[in-house]
Amino acid sequence: MFKFLKKYSAVIKMTWIQTLEYRANLYVGLFSILSGIFIEYLIWKQIFVARGTELIRGFTLNELVAFIFLSMIVGQLKSSWVTSIEMIDAIRSGGLNKYLIRPISFYTYHLMMFIGQNSLFYMAYFTLIAAFPFIFPGLAFTTNFQVFGFLAALFLAVYLSYNMYYIMVCISFWFHEVRALVIAYNIANIILSGQIIPLRFFPEMYLKIITFTPLPFLVDFPVSIATGQLPTDMWASKFFLGFCWCLITWGIGKTLYYFGIKQYGGYGA
Amino acid sequence: MSIHIQNISKSFTSFKREAGLKGAFQSFINRKYETFHALQNINLDVDSGEIVGILGENGAGKTTLIKLMVGLLYPTDGSIHIDGYTPWKRKNEFLKQISVVMGQKNQLWWDIPASESFLLNQKIYEIPQAEYKKTLEELVQLLNVEDKLNVQVRRLSLGERMKMEIIAALLHKPKFILLDEPTIGLDVISQSKIREFIKFYNEEHNSTFLLTSHYMNDIQALCDRVFVIHKGHGLYDGNFNALVNKIKPQKKLIFEFPHAPAEDMIVSLQQEFEFNLIRNVVTAELPDKQLTKLLGSLFKLDDPVTFSVEELPVEDTMRTFFSNPEKFL
Repeated sequence: MFKFLKKYSAVIKMTWIQTLEYRANLYVGLFSILSGIFIEYLIWKQIFVARGTELIRGFTLNELVAFIFLSMIVGQLKSSWVTSIEMIDAIRSGGLNKYLIRPISFYTYHLMMFIGQNSLFYMAYFTLIAAFPFIFPGLAFTTNFQVFGFLAALFLAVYLSYNMYYIMVCISFWFHEVRALVIAYNIANIILSGQIIPLRFFPEMYLKIITFTPLPFLVDFPVSIATGQLPTDMWASKFFLGFCWCLITWGIGKTLYYFGIKQYGGYGA
Repeated sequence: MSIHIQNISKSFTSFKREAGLKGAFQSFINRKYETFHALQNINLDVDSGEIVGILGENGAGKTTLIKLMVGLLYPTDGSIHIDGYTPWKRKNEFLKQISVVMGQKNQLWWDIPASESFLLNQKIYEIPQAEYKKTLEELVQLLNVEDKLNVQVRRLSLGERMKMEIIAALLHKPKFILLDEPTIGLDVISQSKIREFIKFYNEEHNSTFLLTSHYMNDIQALCDRVFVIHKGHGLYDGNFNALVNKIKPQKKLIFEFPHAPAEDMIVSLQQEFEFNLIRNVVTAELPDKQLTKLLGSLFKLDDPVTFSVEELPVEDTMRTFFSNPEKFL
């Protein structure tokens, strides 16, 4: 275990070094999410003013903005689509070779690269999250329990999301070009997992269907914990279900890789 | 590290289509697949410490064979055992003992200095700190890149980058090293330095090397033994010089007379041997025995100002060979 951590923590360190090499890219990345949050705030403010109402589907403007603010941060932190595109490209162009000839795992190496690339953003976002009780007092993180629950659910969301992207990555062993699938999934995921609009704003029918998928665990689950919208007595069963989804998606990814690697042509080298 | 390859075959399935937009539409609706046999029944045994050159034209199957040996590909048929390991099972113990340098692919991180990639490899291969430091110092000195270690990889020249790739590939002291076109695109000096290094490393560590290269000078300088692949079949396994002699046993003679030799003597010699005489200089390309005889006859005519016997350029010889390999074997 210690050797494993030593090996893969070195990958995280490398991605930090690489990310810090390009300062402008880092600043723009951080700015883009802040500007997104600001735009969302302006849109919802106008909707509330235009409707002349104080509540939309049980949300006040402040509650809604707090919810969306957190949803966007979680959505950003769990999204490994850039890493997935790199992985697909590695399979298509023979870049996978350099992972296969070394004692490392393609899956874990990229998971660590993803965490490494994102962790510098994590630091900035956690500063925002830490300021949350002051910006939106009483709307989120009102107890320590909620803070720890949110962190655990965020960890689950990041891992589950990575597994779901990994399944698409493995499909490229057969179809080679699946970047369109990843991009389509990414766009659908932003909307359908509640990253821009809370899930409860969707029609009943959709909500019924979505409970049979892992999508609610990607954004809605951690944010609902942080904002106290999910009763604590439901946490255990939800965490268990989320954990099951992690196992299922991990198993599917592992199986697809096992068969897919036999199709691999190692092209381009 | 010994290698035992038995009846290995590898086929690829790909789809074919006609050129142009019409072909693209036809292929989209009704895709036609074809099977390409990249390797067929290859057998090869390599002993520990050998340097073996794998020769063949583009598309002959050299790189496919290398990929099978390091476990990048699964074979269609046959078996490969490298010190008891089956490569495509990719056991960590096996992967720690091998290394591959592909001239057209790199494992170094492009945007940061090579020294960072070396540190990552230290962790990946679990190399103890003292051993890592010692090996790195040794390799850096041998390849003369001390001042380039902290330069971003993308800012290095092709030759410097290749040297860094070689360092990254050898840090864990592999016992089995595969070099696929290691000198491709390099200038003559860099090529020769890398050749010298490979030779030195092989002698020092008794590592087994398998090498593919389109530069016959690489093969001639490094490999006593070559394995020739032609259209996926093993065609020759043996001594490189013996192969060259089989293809073109001639050597080149240049013999310069101090004065113009007697014409009748030259005419008489030309009836027996094929050679040219231009301005007191005789040039001939003949097999060893004939060349010795001619040289003796020329010495009888006069003492030369200068003379030399040279091997024919091996690149030309191999070009002749690959134009119709079956003819020579």
